[in-house]
Amino acid sequence: MRSRKYSPLLLELLAICLALLILIPFFMIFINSFKDIRESALFGLSLPSNWVFSNYEEVFNQDNLLRGFKNSFLLSALVVVSVNFFASMAAFVIQRRGGKFLQGVYLAFIMGLIVPVSIIPTIRLMDLLHIKGSYLSIIMYYTAVLLPFAVFLLVGFIKSVPRELDEAAILEGCGYFRLYFKIILPLISTVLVTVSIVVIVSVWNDFFGPFYLVTDSTKWTIVLQVFNFVTLYSTNWGVVFAFMIVVITPVLIIYLFLQRYIIDGLTAGSVKG
Amino acid sequence: MERSKYPLYFSFPAVIVFLLFFITPTIIGIYYSFTDWNINADAIKFIGLENYKELFNEPRLKQAFINTLIFAAAVTLLQNAVGLALALLLNEKLKLRNLLRMIFFMPYVIAPLVIGYIFRAIYHPEHGIVNQFFGLLGMDFMVQDWLNDPRFALFTVIMTDIWRVAGFSMVVYLAGLQFIPKDLTESASIDGANYWTRFKHVVFPLLAPAFTVNVLLAMIGSMKVFEIVMVLTEGGPGYTTEVFYTYIRNTFSSGEMGYATAINMLLFVLVTLVGIPVLLAMKKREVEM
Repeated sequence: MRSRKYSPLLLELLAICLALLILIPFFMIFINSFKDIRESALFGLSLPSNWVFSNYEEVFNQDNLLRGFKNSFLLSALVVVSVNFFASMAAFVIQRRGGKFLQGVYLAFIMGLIVPVSIIPTIRLMDLLHIKGSYLSIIMYYTAVLLPFAVFLLVGFIKSVPRELDEAAILEGCGYFRLYFKIILPLISTVLVTVSIVVIVSVWNDFFGPFYLVTDSTKWTIVLQVFNFVTLYSTNWGVVFAFMIVVITPVLIIYLFLQRYIIDGLTAGSVKG
Repeated sequence: MERSKYPLYFSFPAVIVFLLFFITPTIIGIYYSFTDWNINADAIKFIGLENYKELFNEPRLKQAFINTLIFAAAVTLLQNAVGLALALLLNEKLKLRNLLRMIFFMPYVIAPLVIGYIFRAIYHPEHGIVNQFFGLLGMDFMVQDWLNDPRFALFTVIMTDIWRVAGFSMVVYLAGLQFIPKDLTESASIDGANYWTRFKHVVFPLLAPAFTVNVLLAMIGSMKVFEIVMVLTEGGPGYTTEVFYTYIRNTFSSGEMGYATAINMLLFVLVTLVGIPVLLAMKKREVEM
């Protein structure tokens, strides 16, 4: 046993106090989402003097809500697929084949990890390609922005997959596509989970991309719907908070179920990468 | 197996998307930053360095530049300090350890825009719970208009972002702590090393990889800050919280595309200059692995 000069109970108390700092803001919006227009504007922590459930009714009557969720879901799913496939295929040959061209490609991706996107020329480019405002344009935007991170993480990880496996597979008459699909992909699945989580969190929560690239309000993601809703309803905070609760609850529930994988995934990915 | 047999075309989908949608806009951005591209004008005219000349005479750019650097430096430093402290705390054998870890990471999965709106209510000068709290404690000198007072606005935005991202750093540090063999710290404590000495000579050096990742991500992320500032202060009061992206947004909405692109180019240069040393540090770490 280690000797301790501090009491574990004291540390526990300290940690709980700090955790309250995280929880109180969430409690604040939760409790105020049940208050009427006047009481909710006070942003207090007390219970509502009368519980107003109609705030939620109003929120669920918004057509934009469901559409926003649908758009966010669609975009996140498609970007996850494209980033995982494109990045893992590229990382595989970057790590295995090397050479001047692929070294250059790798360096370009690492630069892309650091430098910011030029958003206004991106809008212009989408316009020139006649895909401005489409799902395709926003999927391509996110894929381009998130590829560097995924390639960086995957190249680091593929190093740990022994080359002997490739050799054995090729000797058995396996083509490179089968090698990649049947052997490499399953072996790097843990990092692909990490990549997927980071991609989903980035796409789902992003405001910047769709704010600039999506003009058509039927294609707005849920975060843009929040922006729009707050602008419209900023006089009634009860309804605004109800909208926020409805928007963040699914995210928190998914987080609750997946938090082990999220935290383990980031753990494995970040220190290894 | 021969390296050259691996199919080069496996890299093509990623290369094409990245080239087309990341590198191309950057390059055409260089061109547009030398034009008077304006949403209200019919034609785009090449005007050489005019945008940049105008920018360098603009006090607002200087403010955005300084604020972005202050924000990035403060967030990188504090996020790591708080994240590391939380990681050390939650690496102890606490009963609620897993629950607490989960709670601290929670803000990271919420959209920064939503967090901005929540904190706008929290910092409300009269009703916000921050001022209510200080009022209750009788600490009236701490009751401030956090977002509208030029003395505090930037500080307030920084603290809000720390609230959001400290849990992320914590997780990366916790990962690093797991790789430190228990017997190493134990033998050090048997040798009579106290907590601080153990931390300095055993734990901290072994945390170096987690440290690199955290500093890198914090620096890159914080220089590109947008939503939190936009929602909390819109760059104000005055231009005291103006950062590059809020400045770009404002010039963008007034239709001055060429000018806004020039601001973006300056951010590009700034981030690259700050990022390259970190890049080199990363490369060095790769060799060690």
